Amino acid sequence: MTGLLFVLPMLVLFVIFRFVPTLGAAGMSLTDYKVSGEWSFVGVDNYARLLDDPLFLASLRTTLLYVAVYVPLTMLVSLGTALMLNAAIYAKGLFRGMLFLPYVTSFVLAGVIWRWIYEFDGLLNGLLAKVDLGPVGFLEQSSLVLPALAVVSVWKGFGYSMLILLAGLKSIPGSYLEAARVDGANAWQRFRRITLPLLRPALFFVLIIETIGAFQTFDTIYVMTGGGPARASYTLIYGLYEQGFKFFDFGYAATLGMVLFAVVLVVSLIQRRLLDRGTS
Amino acid sequence: MTITASRPTATEKRKTAAPAPRRTFGKWPLTLLLGLVSLLTVSPFLVMLVVALSPAGSPTVPAQWPSELTFDNLVRTLSASGFLGWTMNSLIYALVSVVIILITASMAGYAFAKKRFPGRDALLWAFLATMMVPFQATLIPTFVLVSDLGGIDTYWGLIVPTLASSQAVFLMRQFIKDLPDELFDAARVDGASEWLVYWRIVVPLTKPILATLGVFVFLWHWNDFLWPLVAAQGDAMRTLTVGLTTLRGEEVPLAVLMASATISVLPCLLVFALLQRYLVNSIAMTGLK
Repeated sequence: MTGLLFVLPMLVLFVIFRFVPTLGAAGMSLTDYKVSGEWSFVGVDNYARLLDDPLFLASLRTTLLYVAVYVPLTMLVSLGTALMLNAAIYAKGLFRGMLFLPYVTSFVLAGVIWRWIYEFDGLLNGLLAKVDLGPVGFLEQSSLVLPALAVVSVWKGFGYSMLILLAGLKSIPGSYLEAARVDGANAWQRFRRITLPLLRPALFFVLIIETIGAFQTFDTIYVMTGGGPARASYTLIYGLYEQGFKFFDFGYAATLGMVLFAVVLVVSLIQRRLLDRGTS
Repeated sequence: MTITASRPTATEKRKTAAPAPRRTFGKWPLTLLLGLVSLLTVSPFLVMLVVALSPAGSPTVPAQWPSELTFDNLVRTLSASGFLGWTMNSLIYALVSVVIILITASMAGYAFAKKRFPGRDALLWAFLATMMVPFQATLIPTFVLVSDLGGIDTYWGLIVPTLASSQAVFLMRQFIKDLPDELFDAARVDGASEWLVYWRIVVPLTKPILATLGVFVFLWHWNDFLWPLVAAQGDAMRTLTVGLTTLRGEEVPLAVLMASATISVLPCLLVFALLQRYLVNSIAMTGLK
């Protein structure tokens, strides 16, 4: 029984701050909970409201679009840098450290620096002006804002995925690649037929982490665009924040939270299934 | 936050294969390219630093290189009372969380790994299941709960809801599970109490993983934003990340903003040195070079 005593402090924290809020989210989504604490049971009204809410439907589209831009970009950058680090001979530790550096900083810091980089009188437009280009409104144009935000998140986050993939690459026995080389396989064939299949578990893991992370992007949007311009970067989470802490419509905001939960759950289950099939 | 050691790579199974002779074709182009990409990656930090060290209001990058460098902006930032307060709040938020999570997670991890008690497996499963629930999905009920308990704009209201970390418990459990049972049995035969076993055997033997976990928890809290944004609304309770977002507009010169950003990132850079070392260690533990 002493085992239970050792678990007890963490268990109390979990019950109060994980289990209760999780059940609370489901419960609140069935009410019209107001910031005053008053509420009444409204059944599935909040869920019905989702389907008629153009703001929500647009935010869902924006979120999916963001995920579709961010995930391939970050996979490419992490895989590319991991491959280069794996093949590098000189100053590997230094380069790995430099590439990993943004990961240890905050999304808020990334947002503050990159907001200036993207500004009309910021770094990027200053450099473009030197070659007689621009100015480009990276955060002012609806068509550019999501890629611009995705670049910031990739910059801030790719170091982690890069390290996971690098560890995966290092676990591939050099003898496999050597044997293929002796058999006359060229670099692309070795990558395509040996490296990539053996790297699959690591790639899937990174894919899951990055996809779920992309759905939860909030900090950079809050700092850099406030959901704009013209709601072009107004994502699901940003909508949740606004419904909760601008309009104080807690019941509806909790419902948006349940949507996020459902999305994350579905993504994990799909990718888990693909992973199981890939390894069995 | 995700913890590196929980990743499912194929590394565990790796035998110490002799390194294959590597073709050295194009080693200089590769080094050059990697160097460029690395430099590009750190360049936002470098321009941040240059702007922070430029005299406020005078031209700087990208228009022209600053004619002189000065520490004025850094001094001005540090002497602004709000900024120091935010820094203290971030330190309290991060350090208190590290201490409590390390203690509670290692205790729970030990019990889950080495002790038998009714409902153990169900409880572990329930802990792990909460990993699937994103924090944002429970943001509103957590806020209402803390608010009802009178915790908004208090340190405990800021800190305590962030302490239930299934990743931390799981990481500790995985690590402690691999320690030989004989160690614990021997201590018990010698009459050591359970608490003594935890304190004298579990804690010393898990020091490397505690350090790694501590670094991650510190960074996670120091860089955290959404919860501090809603839980600490008064200026006196703001953390550094939340405070940084209030510095904008005409009243804050760019140089001062970048100086604030520079100071806010210093603890991360300090921790980065440690993290690098522990990363190499954890990679070594899984048989990698």
